[in-house]
Amino acid sequence: MASLVGRRLVALVAVMFGLVVIVFALQAVIPSDPVRAMVGASASPQIVAQERHKLGYDKPLPERFADYLDRLVHGNLETSLRTRNPVTQDLGTFAPATLELALSAAVLAGVLGVGLGLLLVGGGRAARLLRLVLIGGASVPTFLTALLAILVFYSTLHLLPASGRVSDTLVVPDGPTKLLLVDSLLHGEPNLFWSAFTHLIMPAFTLALLPALAIARTLATSCEQIMREDYVRTARSKGLRERRVLIRHALRNAAGPALTMSGLQFGLLLGGIVVVEQIYAWPGLGLYLDQSIAYSDFPAITGTTLLLGAAYVVVNFTVDLAQAWADPRIRTV
Amino acid sequence: MKLSRARTAPLCLILGALALAGCGAASTSSGGSPASGTTAAASASDQILRIPYLADMSVPDPDIFYDIEGNSVILSAYDGLVTYAPGSTTIVPDLATSWTVSPDRLTYTFHLRAGVHFHDGTVMTSQEVERSFQRRLAVNQAPAYMLKPIASMATPNPLTFVVHLKSPVNPFIDYMASSWGPKVIGPDALVTHAGSDHAQTWLSTHDDGTGPYELTTFARGRQYVLTRSPDYWGAQPYFKEVLIKITPDIGTQQLELQNGDVDAIMHSFPASELNSLPSNVHAEEFPSFLRLLLYVNTNKAPFNNPAVRASLRADVNIPQLVAEAYSGTATPSIGAYPEAILPNQPTLPYAPNAKLAAAGAKAASTKNITLAYTADESGVQRRVGELIQADLAQAGWNVTVKEVQLPQVYGYVNNLSSAPDLMLQTNTPDASHPDTWARILFDSTGGLNFLGFKDPTVDSLLNQALSAPPAKATSLYQQVGQDVVASNEIFFLGDVKNVFVLNRDLTGVEQVPAYPWTVTLADLKRTAG
Repeated sequence: MASLVGRRLVALVAVMFGLVVIVFALQAVIPSDPVRAMVGASASPQIVAQERHKLGYDKPLPERFADYLDRLVHGNLETSLRTRNPVTQDLGTFAPATLELALSAAVLAGVLGVGLGLLLVGGGRAARLLRLVLIGGASVPTFLTALLAILVFYSTLHLLPASGRVSDTLVVPDGPTKLLLVDSLLHGEPNLFWSAFTHLIMPAFTLALLPALAIARTLATSCEQIMREDYVRTARSKGLRERRVLIRHALRNAAGPALTMSGLQFGLLLGGIVVVEQIYAWPGLGLYLDQSIAYSDFPAITGTTLLLGAAYVVVNFTVDLAQAWADPRIRTV
Repeated sequence: MKLSRARTAPLCLILGALALAGCGAASTSSGGSPASGTTAAASASDQILRIPYLADMSVPDPDIFYDIEGNSVILSAYDGLVTYAPGSTTIVPDLATSWTVSPDRLTYTFHLRAGVHFHDGTVMTSQEVERSFQRRLAVNQAPAYMLKPIASMATPNPLTFVVHLKSPVNPFIDYMASSWGPKVIGPDALVTHAGSDHAQTWLSTHDDGTGPYELTTFARGRQYVLTRSPDYWGAQPYFKEVLIKITPDIGTQQLELQNGDVDAIMHSFPASELNSLPSNVHAEEFPSFLRLLLYVNTNKAPFNNPAVRASLRADVNIPQLVAEAYSGTATPSIGAYPEAILPNQPTLPYAPNAKLAAAGAKAASTKNITLAYTADESGVQRRVGELIQADLAQAGWNVTVKEVQLPQVYGYVNNLSSAPDLMLQTNTPDASHPDTWARILFDSTGGLNFLGFKDPTVDSLLNQALSAPPAKATSLYQQVGQDVVASNEIFFLGDVKNVFVLNRDLTGVEQVPAYPWTVTLADLKRTAG
């Protein structure tokens, strides 16, 4: 287990270094002038030059890269060109909303994925029909799901709010976790909890849908293979019901591929966050990243990319641990 | 499968708690001081104005802010010395009740309004005005250029503020009236919270102005709250609170407007949908100085050939283009400047002519060209690009249309050979003065001179015009405009209106052409029925 942890930590550092290299390479390739965009059209050439020097944008790219790495090691992600705040501060502002959304979506994807996967295993006409629906659902792009959800649940049925993280007339507490569902309960604010919960439903569902379908199909295929194993036949011969055999004996052994798929799908989920947060006006990292890209705010883009990359590695590490729990043979590999 | 009672009990408890919470949310109506999770001003929900922004403003600091999205926050929280009258270019009093200019045009004396309070409660005097001007110069960001001509300032008494210029500057009083012009900031910011950065940190989330609203919440990415200032020197605004929510998708904004969850969309409403608005909303249009321009890259083939780029005058049917793309919310441009800031300009010599257009394309060394446009949420620039592409294709050009971001556009001037051949961009001047349009666009170092237009004669005329006697300056600006039009390096396509789409019950919309996308929030009212 210790070597697994060690390998993953090395992977984390390697992935983050790779991400920094890619983002810096993009800066060199994209012909933009973020400093001019920051100071504005009427700024004199002197002001532009002064800001360029202050921000270090007049240095050669390799030197800037070295400076950035040096600051990164010390926990400094530079200052956003758009918000003028330290990027670490901005990430602290926007990350909790994304964390709450991503966690909710991940849990929803897991629950939906396992539920649908088990329904698929049953076979018969209903399962075949469900499989067709899942294939159809998997081909719907996330932005379309988001728009359809808003049209149906907000505009037509008036059941759920269309945008934001909480009703605009409610005052949001500043902590302690900055996860509104948690903080509202800690502060004993049922109104806030309900508002946060209803605002979360559509974005979380939209984000969870594609990963859930992928997990369901993987789990179903895996379960169907396991259900043909000898030990399953033995369990059946003892007179156990089919569902009990599936849940008690087959599911844990079939979980490995589904867990691997969950880890991969988390990357997809993070990728969908930009679109989902934009459409639902969810004030998280996706929104921050989208606005930063429009501004060529490279410090903010790099910082957000690093954070999301680190999250991806950490989640996959967690999935590895879960796999090791589900299948003890993996621990020895 | 049947759920046992032991399993259903916790589920029922959770559902019950949620239902109770839901009831609580629905019945929240108490006012009083805002507390965590309680409604801030629900007892007067009709006195809350909700408007969306497509993006966060950069910072609510009037000496740094230099964007368009966010103007309504700055103009609601702060006042300048002078402003523009609604719907006009006439300069009228704001914090200065009157002003005089010396015969040599070097000294401006502003007589300040008495009894004006900052949001921190202190009374405004000339000392704060001087301190605010000094701060803008010290912070030295983009809007600082408006105060660079100042040689010295004086405060002979608490209600008189005097500015001495190094040399006459014709647009100086327009700088003072600009939405990005100097604003007067109170001592709570400039003294108490000055810190080591001239209060830049503090003013990135607070305000200390004299405007009708105080910025009470600045939650980046989520929401800004403007609260009516009880000490405002002018008429009290109707709305007690203005909630500005960041909603980056225009489609979501439209649905929320239709459902009554926001009161107005201030810009980027798709023009093609204005004719089919739902019955509970209406649109109001106002003239603005927003102008659609077509930049031509003359630093490489084919448009380095003057004859070829001259043929562009005959390529595009501009009235038809503007009508199709803007659905009546823009008009074809008349001259090189917005008509309201420089009247009596010669008519632009653009007229579609298939033969001339084809001859131009035939003479070109390459027919493959790129047309870039900057991304806009309404999609109108993309539509204009596609229409121009179709017109140019008819003349024999092979046009690739591509979307670019503004920072990329700013980078073109550093490598013009790889910049696009043509570029669409919508711009606006900083104020209602021809210099604020010509200097950023036509001067060889102008910030909006994206594709490197360079004419030493134009630079020289602009420098003369800055300090020339007003009548002479007007003729110089006219001459600059004619030179630019004759060069065929910048084409003036359309004058775009400010279009506000509002709930039917929202009235009192006042707008200044020089303040793009911005209504005076303090003038808005909700009428019954």
